[in-house]
Amino acid sequence: MDVTSALQRSANYTTKNARASRQIFESGIVVFRNNAQYKLGDDSWQFLDSLALAAIDVGRIDVAQDCFIRLSAEFPESPRVQCLEGILKEAREGPEAALNFYDQLLEADPTNTAVWKRLISVLRRLGRIERAVEELSKLADTFYTDVEVWLELADIYATHHQYTSALRSLSHVLLLTPQNPFYVLQAAETAYTAQDVPLAIRFFLMVVEMTGVDSDETRPPPPPTGITVRAWYGVELSAARLEANPALGSSSPSKTRVPEHLSQLRQLARDAINSAQVDRRDAETEASSAWLSR
Amino acid sequence: MGSPVPSLYLDPQIRDWVLFPITLVMILVGVLRHYVVFLLQSSPKRLPRAAIREQRALVRSNVLRATSTNSPIPLSFYQAISQDLSKAFAEGTYLKDGPPKQGETPAPPNPLSDPAAMDGMMAGMRTQMVMMVPQMIVMGWINFFFEGFVLIKLPFPLTLGFKSMLQRGIQTRDMDVRWVSSLSWYFLNFFGLNGLYRIILGGDEAANVSQNLAASPFAMNTPQVTQPQDLNKLLKAERDHLEFAEGVHQWIGDGIETRILKRYGSL
Repeated sequence: MDVTSALQRSANYTTKNARASRQIFESGIVVFRNNAQYKLGDDSWQFLDSLALAAIDVGRIDVAQDCFIRLSAEFPESPRVQCLEGILKEAREGPEAALNFYDQLLEADPTNTAVWKRLISVLRRLGRIERAVEELSKLADTFYTDVEVWLELADIYATHHQYTSALRSLSHVLLLTPQNPFYVLQAAETAYTAQDVPLAIRFFLMVVEMTGVDSDETRPPPPPTGITVRAWYGVELSAARLEANPALGSSSPSKTRVPEHLSQLRQLARDAINSAQVDRRDAETEASSAWLSR
Repeated sequence: MGSPVPSLYLDPQIRDWVLFPITLVMILVGVLRHYVVFLLQSSPKRLPRAAIREQRALVRSNVLRATSTNSPIPLSFYQAISQDLSKAFAEGTYLKDGPPKQGETPAPPNPLSDPAAMDGMMAGMRTQMVMMVPQMIVMGWINFFFEGFVLIKLPFPLTLGFKSMLQRGIQTRDMDVRWVSSLSWYFLNFFGLNGLYRIILGGDEAANVSQNLAASPFAMNTPQVTQPQDLNKLLKAERDHLEFAEGVHQWIGDGIETRILKRYGSL
């Protein structure tokens, strides 16, 4: 790979912020060896940062070390570079050393969120869930509006089968980003797993309302795609369970009422899923016939 | 005055040795000031964790209340959060220095004794000094060397009202308003160069004079200083808002089945 195309590709990866470590490393190393990153201008620091992370991912600690030395010479006090140093430590000296390093940094500046989050991820990886949850709660208490923190907390709770606590964390996520249907879907699935089926079906319907058709569109409605299909599946599952076992409806921990017209909802969900399947099959047939006629 | 012959001839030397130097000096002073202000700016002070928490306590209830009439979460979750917050506000859990003691009315903090507030005020004054001092020097320089100079003639006619603005430092009643004196040229530059600075220095407007002159260092800082002293009261008042918002809470999941069925034409 020549330097120009490597530069081009590196610049692309830098702006896209994707974690394609092997590709970033392969094009990045060419740029780095030829010392051409200055051509990226101010983006060169971002490039070094992502190259270092990619190098750690593919196990080339030496390259990461070189990148880190340049970055720390330019930004000695930056929390981001400190974070990178911590990640390097994790890779070279193991999590315990990194943990000590993070603890020291946090003692110096207890509001360094980047380092704080690294610390929590290391704690989680080491299996010290109690301390991780404790730190996450403290972090969420200080920086309430950080959605990432609440999501991580919900994820930890969910992986340890504390679905009610996970739902509580997710309720904060929903308050902070009420416009994001993916979080509503996550809440719906968590509620379903927590056996709160009436709550789950209402959340699923919320996703459908957020992502589905608008009211004045043509009938019959176009086949659902993406997240909406999943939400319809959820509606179907929840409605089926509620119909088979009406006792589930009265035992909802959040005291949510069972939706009316369950059978109609179920029928609607089935139709939607069917049309999505047919649509997908059509698309596949089309794609394969297009491929065959090449 | 209808004659095509101008009533006054300006020596080209005035253009070369007065008009251009004044303009150039003003531009250079502006650029220099930009960098001096840049150097003087202390990095924002890091707040301790408790202070950040205190500062953002109100954000929580605002986030909660913002969506209460179309809330994304059902009532039981909403109530849990709302009542927790209300209790915390009543007890003063979020206050930096812990909850206030019983029966003790906290004295309003003196802004001059609070080192953090003092720092902010000093930084503001320092920036002001950097703004003011070079302007005073340049003005003194113009006044001393070029007093009473007529520098340029504007290419368009103006009414008499502009006379005091354009001919400062020249006491002639009958001169055409289109002639601009040196001191007035200074003022025109003073207010007119901001656009040029923005182009030369990028969007960063440290050299923007008019904006910084408008705000005195004291006026700028008073809102930040007065806020903390009644934060406790603010939090107490926020409890009423919370209670009210809880009363109007409406989950968007309520009645959603009818909405969906109607939208998809099954009802």
